[in-house]
Amino acid sequence: MINFIDVCDRAATGPMMIQKDYDTKVFIPALRRAIKKYDIKYDRKELVNTDDTLADRIFEAAVEFYSEVGTYITDTERVIQFTKPEILEGVEDAPKEAYFGEGPDRCVMKGRMPDSDELPYCHVGSGTNTTEENALRLVESYARISKAKTISIPIINTLGHIRTAAGAPTEVFASIRAMQYGREGCRRAGRPGLGIIDHVSSASTGVSTIASSAPQFGARPSDGWLVSPFAELKTDYSSLNQTAYLTAWGANIGQEAGPILGGYAGGPEGLAIVNTAYSLHGILVIRATYHLIYPIHMTHVCSSHPDVLWATSLSTQAIARNMGVPYYTLLYAAAGAATKMYFDEALACLLMLIASGSGIEDVHPGRAKITDGCTPVDMEFTCQVGHACKGLTRKEADKLLKKIVPKYADKLAGAPLGEKVDECYDLDYFKPKPHFEKLYAEVLEDIKSEFGIDLVRY
Amino acid sequence: MDTEALGAISAAVEEGDTDTLISAVTAALESVPPIDIIQNGMMIGLKKIGDMFGRGEIFLPEMLMAAEAFQEAMKVVEPKLIESGQTIESSGKVVFGTVVTDIHEIGKNIVITLMKTHGFDVVDLGANVSPTTFVDEAEKYGADVIAMSALMTTTMTYQKDTIDYLKEKGLRDKYIVLVGGGPVNPEWAEQIGADGSSDSAVGAVELATRLIANKKRGGNPA
Repeated sequence: MINFIDVCDRAATGPMMIQKDYDTKVFIPALRRAIKKYDIKYDRKELVNTDDTLADRIFEAAVEFYSEVGTYITDTERVIQFTKPEILEGVEDAPKEAYFGEGPDRCVMKGRMPDSDELPYCHVGSGTNTTEENALRLVESYARISKAKTISIPIINTLGHIRTAAGAPTEVFASIRAMQYGREGCRRAGRPGLGIIDHVSSASTGVSTIASSAPQFGARPSDGWLVSPFAELKTDYSSLNQTAYLTAWGANIGQEAGPILGGYAGGPEGLAIVNTAYSLHGILVIRATYHLIYPIHMTHVCSSHPDVLWATSLSTQAIARNMGVPYYTLLYAAAGAATKMYFDEALACLLMLIASGSGIEDVHPGRAKITDGCTPVDMEFTCQVGHACKGLTRKEADKLLKKIVPKYADKLAGAPLGEKVDECYDLDYFKPKPHFEKLYAEVLEDIKSEFGIDLVRY
Repeated sequence: MDTEALGAISAAVEEGDTDTLISAVTAALESVPPIDIIQNGMMIGLKKIGDMFGRGEIFLPEMLMAAEAFQEAMKVVEPKLIESGQTIESSGKVVFGTVVTDIHEIGKNIVITLMKTHGFDVVDLGANVSPTTFVDEAEKYGADVIAMSALMTTTMTYQKDTIDYLKEKGLRDKYIVLVGGGPVNPEWAEQIGADGSSDSAVGAVELATRLIANKKRGGNPA
C-alpha cells in the first residue's frame, strides 16, 4: 500500500481546485457516471438488499468513483488522487483485524460476512454531549454492560460553568478530562482494560487529540481514535496530523464518516457508493485499522428512514464481501430515549446491520442532538439484539423490517423527544427508573410476540 | 408574454442545463422584458426545483445544478434589467456562514441553495467566520437575517458569541438570528437568545420567511 508520507506529498502536490468546483465539477458528475455505469437502482421493493451481485457492483462503482475524485484537502485546496491499482492494493493490504483493550478485556474486531452466524461485534456507548457532572457515571454505566466489547465515551461540553469551545484551551482541558473519566469509569466498572474506541470525541482539533492521548491521562494505543472527514470526501491537515501522530505511535485509527442522503451523495444509490468509498479513503488516507459509518437522512436527520436503511445495507454488504475490514455502524433514531418508537427504529436498524455483516453500536436516540440523550438501556438492548439475532439472514431481516418500519416511517418528522438519561435512568443504582423499566419490559414482550425475537436480559 | 419561451427557460432551469438556458434567455431578450424572463421564467423553474427538493423528490446535486444555471443566466439578464430600470423584489437578505473554528459547510450550502430557490438574496461568508465578521458583513450588506451553522458541540458556542457581540454593539434587535447544524436544537437556540433554529433546510427557509414577514409587519421576529 502507498506509504502515508507519499499520501502527505500528494496532499501538497495534487491537482489544485476550489472546493466548490470539487463538489460540482468533480464529485457530483463522477458519482452520476458511476451510478449509471454500474446500473445501481433502488426499486423500493427491499429494505435490506439481498442481491450479492448488486453489492459487488457497489464496490466496483466505489473503486472507480474514488479513483476519479480522491480526497480533497481544504488547507492546500488540492486533491489526493489514487489509481485503481493503488486502491485495490490498499484494500488487499488493509488490516483485517483490529485489537482493542488489554488483559481480560482485550478483544478483536473483524470483518463479518452477510448472513453470517458469527456474533456481531457489540460496541456500546455514546460520543454525544454530557456535562462534566454526569461524565464519569455515564462511562461507568456503559462499561458495566457485560456483553459490550468496547465503549465510546461522551463529549464533555462544560467545565463547571464554562462551556468548552473548539480550538480554545477549554477544549484541550475537556478532552483530557474526558479521557481521564473514561479510564476511571472503566476501572470503577471492574473492566480497567476495556478499549475506548472513540478517542476523543471532545477533541475537534488535532492539538486536543494529541494532548489528551498522552499516557498519563489513561490513553493506550490499544484504544481507538476516530479521524473524521468533512462532507463529502474532504479532510484537512488537522486530521492528517492526527493520523501522523497515531501511526507513529502504533495506535488504532478509526475511519469515521457520516454521509448525508440528499446532500452531495444525492439519493440512496449515491449514498451506497459514497458510504463504501469512505472506507477506501479510510484505508489510504486515514490509515484506518477499523471503520465506522453513520449515514443520515438530510431532511429527517436520522438513519432509520427506509432509503438510508437500504443504502446502508447495500454498502455494508459491499464492504463485507469485498474488503473484509473491521467495520461497525452507528445509526440515529428520530425518537428520543425511553419511547416505544425509539425501540422500533433501533430494532429495524440493528436487524439490517446484523444481517448485512456489520458490527453494531447502540442506535442513538433523538437524532443524537440531545445532551444526555442516550441511555444504558439502549446499549443493553443493542447487545441483546446482537446476541439473539446472530445468524439472521438478509431475507429474514428484510421480511422483519417490512413489518417494523411501517410502525414508525410516517412519524419521523414529529418523533417524540423522549427523556434525558437523568429522567429515566438511575445513575446511582445503574438501572432504569420504574416507568422506563415498565416501558422496556413491554417493548421486549411486544418484540417477542410480534416478531418472535426473544431478547434475553443479561 | 411569450409563454412558450418562458416555459422553455423554466424547464432549462429545472434541468440545470446552463447552455440551453443561456441560449433560451438570450433569444427571449429580443422580445421579452428582462423582468418577465426572471420572474415568469427563471424563478418559476427555480421555485419548482426548490419545491421538489422540499418534497424529497430531488436532492442537493440537482438543486445545485439548477442554481448554478440560474446564476450563469443572471449574468446575461442582469445588465438588461438594470438598463430597464426595474428591480426584483428579494424575499430577504441573509448573511450566512459556518462559525469560527468550524469548517463544515455542507449544511450551510444546502440551506443557502434552497434559500436562493425561494428568492432570498444570500451572501455566503464561507466557513470559519468570526463573530465580528458576521456582524460587519450584516451591516455592510444591510441584511435581514444572520444565519450561523455549526456542526460540532465545541463550535456551536461561537453562535452565542456572535449574539453576545450583537448585544454589545446594540444591534441585536436589528437582525433576525438563526442557528443550525448537527448538534443545534431549539433548546440551545432559546438558551443563547437566537430567534430560531431548524433541523432541515426546508424548515430553515420557512422559518426565515415567517420571521421576515413578522418583522416587516412590525412584530417581534419570533
